[in-house]
Amino acid sequence: MSFITSRRSLARLGLGAGALLAAPRLTRAQAAFPERMIEVVTHAGVGGGTDITARMMMVQAAGEFKQELVVVNRTAGSGAQALQYLASKPADGHTIILVTQTHLLTQIRNRNVPQFADLVPLVRATDDPQLVLVRRDSPFRTAADLVAAGKQRSLRFGGTHVGGVDHIAIFSFGRAAGLQQPTLVPFRGGGEIVINLVGGNTDSALVNPAEAESQLRSGELRPLLALSEKRLPGFPDLPTAKESGIDCVASTVRGFCVLKGTPEDRVARLEQGLVRAMSGPIFKTYLENTGQSPDSVVGRAEWGAQLQAFHESGREALQALGLLR
Amino acid sequence: MRRARNPNHAIAATIAVVALCAIAATFTFEPVPPGLPGLGAVEFPRLVSGILLALALVLGLTAASPPTEEEVPRVSGQAWVIFALCLGFLPLVDMIGMIPAIPIFLLVVGRLWGGTAWPSLLLSALGMGIGIWIVFVKIFRLTLPKGWLGTMLGL
Amino acid sequence: MEGFLGGLAILVDPWVMLMVFLGTVLGIFVGALPGISGSTTIALMLPMTIAMGPIPAICFLGAIYCAANFGGSITAIMVNAPGDPSASATALEGYKMAEKGQAGLALGMSAVSSAIGGIFSIFVLIIAAPLLARAAYSFGPPEYFALAVFGLSMCAAIGGDSAVKNLIAAALGVLLATIGMDLTTGTERFAFGIDELADGIKFVPVLIGLFAVGEMLDQVVRRAEKAKIIAMDAARVPGMAEFRKCNRSIWLGSVIGTFIGALPALGATTAALIGYNETRRWSKHKEEFGKGSIEGVAGPEAANNAAVGGSMVPTLALGIPGSATTAIILAGLIVQGVRPGPHLFTEQPTLLYAVFASMLAANLFYLGLGLYMAKFFARISLVPPAILWPSVFVLSIIGAYGPDQSMGDVVIMLIAGVVGFLFRRTGFSPAPLIMGLVLGGKMEETLKQSLIIFGDDVSLFATRPIAMTLLAITAVGLLWPLFSRLWRLRVAPR
Repeated sequence: MSFITSRRSLARLGLGAGALLAAPRLTRAQAAFPERMIEVVTHAGVGGGTDITARMMMVQAAGEFKQELVVVNRTAGSGAQALQYLASKPADGHTIILVTQTHLLTQIRNRNVPQFADLVPLVRATDDPQLVLVRRDSPFRTAADLVAAGKQRSLRFGGTHVGGVDHIAIFSFGRAAGLQQPTLVPFRGGGEIVINLVGGNTDSALVNPAEAESQLRSGELRPLLALSEKRLPGFPDLPTAKESGIDCVASTVRGFCVLKGTPEDRVARLEQGLVRAMSGPIFKTYLENTGQSPDSVVGRAEWGAQLQAFHESGREALQALGLLR
Repeated sequence: MRRARNPNHAIAATIAVVALCAIAATFTFEPVPPGLPGLGAVEFPRLVSGILLALALVLGLTAASPPTEEEVPRVSGQAWVIFALCLGFLPLVDMIGMIPAIPIFLLVVGRLWGGTAWPSLLLSALGMGIGIWIVFVKIFRLTLPKGWLGTMLGL
Repeated sequence: MEGFLGGLAILVDPWVMLMVFLGTVLGIFVGALPGISGSTTIALMLPMTIAMGPIPAICFLGAIYCAANFGGSITAIMVNAPGDPSASATALEGYKMAEKGQAGLALGMSAVSSAIGGIFSIFVLIIAAPLLARAAYSFGPPEYFALAVFGLSMCAAIGGDSAVKNLIAAALGVLLATIGMDLTTGTERFAFGIDELADGIKFVPVLIGLFAVGEMLDQVVRRAEKAKIIAMDAARVPGMAEFRKCNRSIWLGSVIGTFIGALPALGATTAALIGYNETRRWSKHKEEFGKGSIEGVAGPEAANNAAVGGSMVPTLALGIPGSATTAIILAGLIVQGVRPGPHLFTEQPTLLYAVFASMLAANLFYLGLGLYMAKFFARISLVPPAILWPSVFVLSIIGAYGPDQSMGDVVIMLIAGVVGFLFRRTGFSPAPLIMGLVLGGKMEETLKQSLIIFGDDVSLFATRPIAMTLLAITAVGLLWPLFSRLWRLRVAPR
């Protein structure tokens, strides 16, 4: 399977290269963009999941742009410093930022950083839908059990910190399903969330499939719902929340943006180059092996719409949770 | 050997000030959003600051043996100059960038430190600068601050 | 068994062995260098290993991880600059030994105890990984809270001679740990609108500042008197007598390190600190601690390297990383298409045992290199101070800047450096402060998580047998010296 995919994408790579050769005038017209090293700013530390996404993209992007790419880690302030670094650079396309939902929440809560409107979306890199999980011996056999219980009492959901992306997702799920406002038990990262769910310290959790891969395989955790638009290829029998009448989608997304004011032709060049680089075999294999959606990589239209939707629902949720002042 | 005065009172006072500042600062925290279970944000820091205050009181009341001159040598004028140079390293980095700042700093401080001849100081300073550049910038590709100068030169 | 032999077979594959050797050398180097940690290196090497194929790639990354943890002790001992946070406990006694002119002894003991700790944990991993991994599920917030209390309970005794000063330092450390966004309320504490503080105080800048810069500033003041170099003995490596003395510390450290490493929420730094506590508690030569105790090097070094194998337990058996570094190794495995979990032990035993075999080989490599090179490393103390200490300062700056490329961290490091300098001049020890910083944050966080889980009902702690046992052990440990003194008072008059 993976062999076929990589062959197919290799062919696409070849086609892409051919297209470039066939359009020498176009290349000349755009003069030399990129004319120097491209910086990729991320809010993750070296080795974080988001940082690895950037580095996986770069493996093939360097050849695509005929320029070196380098990751700049600006970790402080949940994306605030990464955004400020971006804003400190000229809007000429040589600095791109790896954006996650965390950045959008930071922007909503902190007016002093470049806002959502100051960004121009380029490409989505990864899209990792979340599952609603319970442990093996949980009394909730189906999603309906969970919802029924959640109407009687406040369920404990494991997630990351208060006001974080998980908190928003849990809140949105609870509201869409008509539950009493769920109690968030905050942990540091997906590993702890999974362990405490298996250990019985929480009732449920929203987790990316890859984070709980081993527990799902051994049956220690059971998925009740997929919070995606369509059923997931890895879980063909698992109903989506939408099918079950709960209007909620939640996924971990990462993608690239540039600063507003970047010339349109450069935005187009970056979009096209990044899409091509991330359609290459290395990024495809990375997506496949980390259990992320194979059609993660989409252009700016779809990526922009998704960011816009989260920007609005995130603001609303933060307001309802009393986290916005 | 001259006996220094008992420093415990000064230390205790400093610690007490730190603790009181911390307690005061807890009143500036943003309120915790409503409806969250469990302990709030301010209780634990206040508890720890309170303990710190109590410990400072105990320290202030205990008469520990004062340290001798040998244990706490005086800070000479030249030492203050080196301290100032250490602090000055950051603005220097801001101005000319990390890599050029390293040999300059090593050379100047090494000279003030004394006991080593110019040539070996110069060699080791250059070697250190080049070594750090090779390891951090070339091999591991970490971006070190380029400073005002580096930005001007468009590096 | 077949899997085991299949795994061992990679030890004769020259290509794999070359990778393990290169990984070991690289690991020692980056581990010793402040500013590049093992985890940074592994993350940076990750894209390069994709082309290697799973077994050489994982062996390479595993070797870096094993060796970097040992490498951190070299700079900790020689210039009081822990190259890796987990080596900070080693610096406490190791640097004191180097000052006494026993650098070679300390380095050699660090190599030997590191290797024993590392190899011990790998054997535990081979025999009991799936079993030990289950323990991770029994450790929730209440259990971690009890463990943090246990670790902190020793802080009055560890460090300087004055119990009050030790407690003050510990309380300062705990207070420091509360800086930044509070996990359970989302409130920013003591951040004053500064982004670097909003994320909480990071260990690396604080440790480098307290130890290396504090020492450098102290050296500036003592410049004149430092003419006396006691280096005659520096190159001597430990012999049988030293090993016999440290035997107990090494095994204690190995067991503690393996267990704490296997708990996903705690890592090598905690393992080394608790290893140091317990080494002192059970030592026959308590009076040597704080003045350069060789047992105080052996215990924490065995513990932090045993934590390496330990942290591979949940990583391989549950697919849940046991430390920051294994999180990246896990990513490396997943990128290679290897899905860790209990099934790995039955479905791909060859690959698994290849990982174990390569880690064993890496431990032996750095033991050999470490013992051989100890003589050369020890000569660092012969470098003229006018070259050595300014260079330590520069490396400290890069060390604080490197991990997150933040000048804010450099400022935090300089402040910690001034605190470290003042600590030295006023008879405080950095040890309890570090314990407070590392364990205090964990203590508050897990207490709050527990209260959320228990619905604010503290009495529910009584329903957690592991937590209650740990708290009981803590109480006994605290009250024991008191009881024994009372007992002696009663007995003495007779």
